[in-house]
Amino acid sequence: MLAIFKRETRSYFTSVVGYVIIAAIFAFVALYYAANNLILGSPDFASILYYSVMVLLFVLPALSMRSFADERRNKTDQLLLTSPVGIPSIVLGKYLAQLVVFAVPVALSCLMPLSMALFGDVSFLSAYSAVFAFFLAGAACIAIGTFLSAMTENQILSYLSTFAVLLICYLMNSIQTLFTTGNTMAFIVFCVILAVAAVLVGLLCKNVLAGSAVFCVGAVVLILLFRLRPTWLLEAFNHVLDALSLFDPFTDFVGGMFSLPGIVYYLSVIVLFLFLTGQALERRRWN
Amino acid sequence: MIEVSHLTKRYGRHCAVDDISFTVQDGGIYGLLGPNGAGKSTTMNVITGYLSPTSGTVRIDGHDIVEEPQEAKACIGYLPEQPPLYTDMTVAEYLQFVAELKGVKRKSEREAEIERAMGRTGLEDVMDRLIRNLSKGYRQRVGIAATLLGNPKVIILDEPTVGLDPAQMIEIRSLIHDLGETHTVILSSHILSEVQAVCDRVLIIAHGKLIAQGTPEELAGKLAAHGMISATAVGNRDAVVAAASAVPGLTGLKVTAEKGDEVSFTASSESGTDLRAALSKAMAEAGCPVISLSSSTISLEDVFLQLTEASPEEAEPVSAPEEKAGQSADAESNTSPAEPEQPAQDAAGETPAKDDEKEVQ
Repeated sequence: MLAIFKRETRSYFTSVVGYVIIAAIFAFVALYYAANNLILGSPDFASILYYSVMVLLFVLPALSMRSFADERRNKTDQLLLTSPVGIPSIVLGKYLAQLVVFAVPVALSCLMPLSMALFGDVSFLSAYSAVFAFFLAGAACIAIGTFLSAMTENQILSYLSTFAVLLICYLMNSIQTLFTTGNTMAFIVFCVILAVAAVLVGLLCKNVLAGSAVFCVGAVVLILLFRLRPTWLLEAFNHVLDALSLFDPFTDFVGGMFSLPGIVYYLSVIVLFLFLTGQALERRRWN
Repeated sequence: MIEVSHLTKRYGRHCAVDDISFTVQDGGIYGLLGPNGAGKSTTMNVITGYLSPTSGTVRIDGHDIVEEPQEAKACIGYLPEQPPLYTDMTVAEYLQFVAELKGVKRKSEREAEIERAMGRTGLEDVMDRLIRNLSKGYRQRVGIAATLLGNPKVIILDEPTVGLDPAQMIEIRSLIHDLGETHTVILSSHILSEVQAVCDRVLIIAHGKLIAQGTPEELAGKLAAHGMISATAVGNRDAVVAAASAVPGLTGLKVTAEKGDEVSFTASSESGTDLRAALSKAMAEAGCPVISLSSSTISLEDVFLQLTEASPEEAEPVSAPEEKAGQSADAESNTSPAEPEQPAQDAAGETPAKDDEKEVQ
């Protein structure tokens, strides 16, 4: 794991990719910091992170897109997978290297509240808990991106799919307000989610039958629920949407709330997607 | 030692490797020979753990590649068809990374191994250059140097000379020959002469099946033994045929042409001995003077093409006669560090090998 971690980290810093990503994130945070805190004189550092989250949507997919897609295209994954190293070590090594790159701008922005303290009272606790949550949210984005990168050998596809997923998660709150009106809407959206899940299952297993089976069973269950218990569907739908809004827990932190469930949520997202990454790699050997 | 038994790999409906079994003893250079798409790379990818077998097992030094992947992979250095090089690293950095990846823990040990690997592959001059800027021959050498790290017993090279110019090809071949003195080497190739020149034992694969194995001499002897005799004799057709069929060892008699009194025919001599004299004598005694007689041996090249181009059903399995003798000779000449369980392993390895033989024959 250490060898892969070291190589990956070095590769981000010997190429221009690492620096561009660091610069992009730091530039945005610094821009908001300058505008809000320095010029307008607001003592609230957490809210500038809230605005800066937007930039993560664009930049972090660029960080994670190459992690596995590139290895596969250059066939260097043959070296990793035939070395006496377990798949968990490979995934973790690569993931941690990306975290290091992302940690650099986050660490740099830790200096900003300190500089604000020169001019007045700053709530360090709320500022740094927001920075912590910002890092966790970013780490979750990277985990999702790593998984999507392991699914393809095309970096562009990897970037676009990660960006799309993150964008949907980011907009989930507004999407949710559109849908609270009717059961039919919930039903339709569930059907779409089911279809996507079925396609994913089909692709992962390289088996059309498995995908179709998942879709048929899911559709029967959905139709039954829609006929018999329409309210359940709506509630479940809202719960699902809540779980998908990746940046909600972060907003809690920005609001000044240190939420343990939020941390658990991010850690679970990270663990889930790293696990799925390992499964995707494992899966590929069998097909 | 590598034991492959009943290995099958399917991609959907396509069967890339179909029930292959063989044993690779310690020491020596083994060649997997077959046309492109025969299943050589797939076989190697399964042996090294990059792909999982659909069915069948691969055991490396007693470790199953699926059950104990890490122990099994530690015994192997693998160079795939396209060398897995990170082109943004220098040669020294890359080898350093691979040594760490292979679990060479101590720094001094790592450095010694890297130095040795670079020495053997002649990379000292380019060690500080980016891999991106190296020629294909040098890249191949970097790939081979990387397989040596971690001191694996077995080195597996997939088409190591493909795409190289003739001079580089000769260099890599002599390098492989050197490696064969210290490691067990398995290489794949679709070039017959290369395998013949470099390998101690050859396994011919076509259409995902193992169709022949043995030393190059055994295969050449066995295969070329299907010598053809073509002759023309003067006399009655029936008399000629009767006389020729009476010659012991001559089979597959076929009359090819009749022109007036002259009867031309071909026949094959199975045993590999020259039957021209016997045939001539027999014909003379039968009163059918031979007016032309020639023997042609099928070259190994012809037989290889014939074997590998035939559809799987038609492919006639050929096995070297002295297979067992060859194997025990291999075991005796094995000079790798003596291990207490070596004889036991050899004995165990004999069983699948025998199974092979039955299947092939």
